[in-house]
Amino acid sequence: MYFGQLLVLGLLDGAVLSLVATGFTLVLGVGKIANFAHGAFVAVGMYLGYEAYVAWHISPYLTLLPALVFFALIGWAVAEVFEQRGRKVGEVGELLVGLALLLLINGLLELFFTDNPKTLSGVNIGGVGVFGITIQLTQIVAGIFAFALAGGLHVFIHTSRWGRALRATAEDPTVAGLYGVRVPVAQRAAVTLSIIVAGLAGVMIAPFTVLTPDIGTTFLISAFAVVVLGGIGNTQGAVLAGLFVGVVDSLAAGYLSSYWTTLTPLIIILGYLLIRPGRVTA
Amino acid sequence: MNKRAAEFVSSYQGMIALLALLVVLWFAPSALSAAGLSTLVLALFYAIGGVSFNFLYGSLGIFSLAQPVFIAVGGYTSIFLFNRFGVSPWLSLLIAPVIAAILALPVALVATRIGGGAVLTALVTLIIAEAVTPILIAITPLGGAIGLYAKSPPVITFGDMQFASGLTYVRILAVINVLFIAFWMWWKRSRFGLFTAAIKDSPEAAEAAGIANGRLRLSVFLIAAMLAAPAGVIFAQYNLLTSPDIFLGGTALFQIITIALVGGAARPWGSLVGALLIVYVAQEVSNLSGSNPAAEPVTFAGVFVIMVLIVPRGLSGTWARVVAQRRPDRGGALSAIGDGTARSGSAQAHSGTVSAAGGTVSAGSETSVASEQTDAQVVPGQTRPT
Repeated sequence: MYFGQLLVLGLLDGAVLSLVATGFTLVLGVGKIANFAHGAFVAVGMYLGYEAYVAWHISPYLTLLPALVFFALIGWAVAEVFEQRGRKVGEVGELLVGLALLLLINGLLELFFTDNPKTLSGVNIGGVGVFGITIQLTQIVAGIFAFALAGGLHVFIHTSRWGRALRATAEDPTVAGLYGVRVPVAQRAAVTLSIIVAGLAGVMIAPFTVLTPDIGTTFLISAFAVVVLGGIGNTQGAVLAGLFVGVVDSLAAGYLSSYWTTLTPLIIILGYLLIRPGRVTA
Repeated sequence: MNKRAAEFVSSYQGMIALLALLVVLWFAPSALSAAGLSTLVLALFYAIGGVSFNFLYGSLGIFSLAQPVFIAVGGYTSIFLFNRFGVSPWLSLLIAPVIAAILALPVALVATRIGGGAVLTALVTLIIAEAVTPILIAITPLGGAIGLYAKSPPVITFGDMQFASGLTYVRILAVINVLFIAFWMWWKRSRFGLFTAAIKDSPEAAEAAGIANGRLRLSVFLIAAMLAAPAGVIFAQYNLLTSPDIFLGGTALFQIITIALVGGAARPWGSLVGALLIVYVAQEVSNLSGSNPAAEPVTFAGVFVIMVLIVPRGLSGTWARVVAQRRPDRGGALSAIGDGTARSGSAQAHSGTVSAAGGTVSAGSETSVASEQTDAQVVPGQTRPT
């Protein structure tokens, strides 16, 4: 019974994690960029959903469409900066851009929304009884939405022409370029897609999550653990590993103690390094 | 005689500048107000953390976000030992680096072997740093989330390191800063410095030349951790408190990295300059905004963004570039060329191949061929005067 509750909650959390990690793995694989600010965009999405509801009483679900446009524009701009700095300063340049974005987003969120944790209590669309506990419908919707979007992304990358271009760029940018793939566009598209996906995930989970400015770092770390587990650039792996990490987190928090959720990513990565040392390469 | 004096000055100019800096930092702060002193304590504290990060990053390009952990080790060592066993914090200044090095060993094993460049190292060390807070909270003798307050003895002696004025802490921190900068300057000119420069340029070539690559990487990581710990000891004594929040909370984790990177890893003085600059600016912005708690993180982020866009190698990195660009014109090409080339006896002939960009030598010497992205950080400072 208790196990069932934890399992369901873990799967729902895991679906969101899958979505965030799918974006992260995409940008690692195609753009060869480890976007340090990836998790921070989840936080931006969350505060966007929060602000839209508190200020204008717009449901987070209606915020999704404007958020999509917003994150697409931001994403393209960010990709441009990554590209430009990466060309001039190399890999460390990209790392610095990511860190700078992360700090900037954290700082601005703290400036506008203060450090105090916030919750969005108004959005309540009922709950469903599962294994004797009531799960918020918002959480279920977010889980299904995230799972569907992550799955859709996977299908898109593996069946469409655009997806093939992205995979070709991930495989070998030079050769892909020779075959007519516009590599710079593909790389920017990957960064933009990942940021859109992170932002939308943030909007979806806003109704049932405690919002703090630096929550993005938590998502970054979990997403990285998921990506390592699922294989870099592997979207299917990211979806499955995301569900797995979500369940492990939930079980660890339920049976051990809540601080174990912070340790699971570390344990996963250390375990991976023990089994396959030196293989965590992009 | 005059010429010899000039030679003496030029070969020891770094040490002379450091001594002058120490004198200024020792005497000038007595004119500062209490608020000014607390700003200076913060800046000098961050500067030591920055040296720890930059020493590691500048020597080997290992981008470790775990340095704040080793600072925290210093803070916890000092207060725990004092409260439990009455060990003087002065003694902890020596004990803490040892503990930090022991704890750094597993971190170093992971961070130096992960492969895949600076980004993955940064991510993994960030995860390690984030995991320390829950571990600290779980260990009850260390005070959990609240941390440990230093016990106040009935009669406070010098050995308790609990001073009423910030001035004493400024002086202690200034001495540590100067010592560490001097250590790094010595290291750069020692054979270890040359070895690390060789490893950073080309691990394979260094390995082929007989440099114990793995062992040296590990040692540098441990030394960097040892450099971080004393900062924690002093800062914990200054606050009479050690807690996860002071050293590892939210933005605190990134502030040291910001300072280190804005200062730049190309020169040992980088982080000190970065720290004084950023902490001062942050203090001013905070005053202007009416002590808005968000002012500090926003300022740090803002300065960092400006730095990434304008001087991606940090202030000292840009300085190193400018120096390297000017040097060939003054006929000082010798010092811009790596040790190996200079020893081949044809250094002057090679001076034409020193590119203006930053002293990248296209001659066949393995140790001096710097890659495009590391050139400015490696070449000029790490050469032995010939």
